[in-house]
Amino acid sequence: MKETILRGLEQAYRNLVQMVADFLPRLLVMLIIIALGFVVAFVFKYLLRAVLGLTKLDQVSEEAGASRILRIAHLPSMTVLLSRSIFWVTWFAFILIGFSVLGVAGLQGQISRLFQFLPEVFIAILILFLGVMVANFLSRTALLAAVNAGHPAPKLLSWSIRFVIWILAISMTLEELGVAKQTVISAFSIIFGALMLGLAIAFGLGGQDLARRALERYLGNAKKEKDKEPQPL
Amino acid sequence: MAEDTLLADDLLRQLMGVGEVDLLVGISSHGNPDTTAHALGAIARSFQQQFPRQRTVIVDVRGGDKSEGDAEAAGLGNVAEKTVRLAEAASLRTAHRVTADFTVQPSAGMALRTILAAADLLQARACAVVSPATTNLAPDWIANLLRPVYQEKFDFVAPLYIRHKFQGLLARNLLYPMSRAVFGCGIRELYSDEWGFSGRLASVCLNQDVWHEDHVGTRPEAWMAISAISSDFRCCQTFLGQKLQPATASATDIVEIFRQTVGNLFWCMESQQSAWLDGERSKAVQTFGQDHELTSEPTDLDRHRIFEMFRSGVTELEPILSTILDPETHAEIKSMVSLGLDNFSFRTGLWVRTVYDFAASYHHAVINRDHLVQALAPLYRGVTLSFLIEHSDSSSAEMETVSEGLCLEFERQMPYLREKWKAKVEVKS
Repeated sequence: MKETILRGLEQAYRNLVQMVADFLPRLLVMLIIIALGFVVAFVFKYLLRAVLGLTKLDQVSEEAGASRILRIAHLPSMTVLLSRSIFWVTWFAFILIGFSVLGVAGLQGQISRLFQFLPEVFIAILILFLGVMVANFLSRTALLAAVNAGHPAPKLLSWSIRFVIWILAISMTLEELGVAKQTVISAFSIIFGALMLGLAIAFGLGGQDLARRALERYLGNAKKEKDKEPQPL
Repeated sequence: MAEDTLLADDLLRQLMGVGEVDLLVGISSHGNPDTTAHALGAIARSFQQQFPRQRTVIVDVRGGDKSEGDAEAAGLGNVAEKTVRLAEAASLRTAHRVTADFTVQPSAGMALRTILAAADLLQARACAVVSPATTNLAPDWIANLLRPVYQEKFDFVAPLYIRHKFQGLLARNLLYPMSRAVFGCGIRELYSDEWGFSGRLASVCLNQDVWHEDHVGTRPEAWMAISAISSDFRCCQTFLGQKLQPATASATDIVEIFRQTVGNLFWCMESQQSAWLDGERSKAVQTFGQDHELTSEPTDLDRHRIFEMFRSGVTELEPILSTILDPETHAEIKSMVSLGLDNFSFRTGLWVRTVYDFAASYHHAVINRDHLVQALAPLYRGVTLSFLIEHSDSSSAEMETVSEGLCLEFERQMPYLREKWKAKVEVKS
C-alpha cells in the first residue's frame, strides 16, 4: 500500500519534471520571440517614420485636412500615428507567434480565431477613436462655454461630459467585441442612470437657489447682468 | 449673370418696371414694423430733401412666415405707399420701392446679395444699406452715406458714430487696429449696420464665389469693406451721429460677437492673404464730417466680475491657450493672474502678440477654429479691464493718443504675424 503511494508520487513528480523540462525551453523561445518582436517592431517604427518623413506625409495630410481632425481629437501627427500603429501591430503579431510556440492545447485554434476576429477589432478601434474624438470636442466646447458664461466649475462640467462619452464609447466598443455584452449594457445603464439621478437630486435639493438665480439671470434680469460688461461693439 | 437665378420672378418683374436708377437704398425689414416704418420714412425724406433730381429706389428685403408677414405687410404697405408718394411729391424724377419677399427670414448675407443683384441690374451709381433696428435713423444719415459715392466717386463708405468712451472696446482694441495694420486702411467701424457703396463695387462683390461662407452670411459688411480695401477701391468714412437701438433688442452674448467679428476678421485675413502677406500697404482714409465722438456718462461696470472671468479663463483654459500661444506670451499672461485688481495691467505689446498668435493659430487650425475664437474672449476681458482702469478719468484726446499707440504697435509687430503665419505648424510627437 505504502509502496504504491510512493510509486504514484514518484511518477507524478517525474511527469511534472518532464513537463517543466518540456515547457521551459518553449517559454524561453516565446520570450525570445516577444523580445525580438519588440526590437523588430521598434526598428519598423523608426524606419516607417523616416520613410514617411521623406515622403512629407504630414504636409499632404495637412493639406487634405486630415491633420486638423487628428488635432481636434488630441492625437499626434499622421506620421507618428502610423509609425506607432505599425509598432503595435508588428509586436502583437510576434506575441501571438510566441504564444503559439508554447503548444498549449487549444491555443492554436484560439489564435486562428483571433485572426478571424480582427474585423470586429478594427471596428471597435474605430468606435473608440470616434468616441475619443467626440468626447474631446464636446468637453472642450463645454469648457469654453462655461468659462465664457462665468460658470463656477467649468472643468467639472467639461470632465463630466468627457467621462460620460468615454463610458458610452467604451461600452459600445466592448459590445462590438462581444465582451460580456449583457454585463456591459447593464453596467452602462446603471452608471448612466445613477449619474443622471444623482444630478437630478443634487440640482433638485441642493441647487434650488442656483436654479432660481440662473432663471432670474436668464429671464428676468438679463440686461442688468450684461450691463456689467462694456458693449464690445 | 448671377441675378438671373438669384432674383425671384416677382422681384425681377418689379425691377424691370423701375429701369435704371441713380441711387438705391437697401433695407432688410423683418422685425419691428414701427422701426421699419420709421426707417422707410427717413429714406423717403432723404430722397425728397437731398436728392430731388435723382432717380431713386428702395429695395426692401422681407422674410418670415407669410401669415405673420401679411399683417406686417399691410401696415408697411400703407407706409410704403406714403413713402413713395412722399418721395414722388417732391422729386423731379422717378422714385420707386420694390420688395423682395422670402419665405423665411434671409441671412444678412442673402439680403445683401439680393440688394447687390438689384443694384447691378438697375445700374445704380450709389447705394446704401441701412438697418431698421436703428431707431433714430435720420434722412441726413442716408445722404451722408450716398453723397461720397455719388458726388466724390468713393466706392465704400463706412459710418462713424457718437459712442460712450467704454462702448465698442472690441473695435477699439482689436478690430480697428488689427484691420488697419493688416490691410493698411483704417476703417473704424468695420462692423456696422449702415454703410454705402458704389455700383462698381456691388458688381465686383456680387460675382465673388463666397456667398456660401458662414462669415459672409452673418457679417457681409466687413467682408465687403475688406474686399474694397484689398482691391484698391476708394474707401472713406462719414460721421452719422449717435446710434440708438430699440429697448427690446436683446444684447448678444460675447461669444456670438466674437464669432461674428473676430472669427470673421481672421477668415477675411485668410481669404485675402495675397493682399497683405507679402507687402506693406498703407492708405489714408478720408473722413467726411467730424471724426468720431466720445461721451462719458457714468456706467455700471463690474470690474471685479470682469477680473474674475479673466482669471478663470486663463486658469481653466491653460491647455487650450498653450496650443495657441507662443510659450513666452502664455507665460506672461499666466503671471498676470496673480496680480491684484488695483495694479492690473495688460501690456500693449503683449496684447498685440497674443492676437497675432491667435490669428496665426487660426490660419494653421491648431484646434477647431470656433473654439480658438472663443478662447480669446477671456483674454479680451483682461484687456477691457486694463482699459477701464487706465482710462477711468481720461479725456477723449488722451484715449485717442493711446489708441493710436496701439495701432502703431499692431503695425510694428506685423513682421511677427507674417513670420508666424508662414511658419509650418508644429507637429506633436
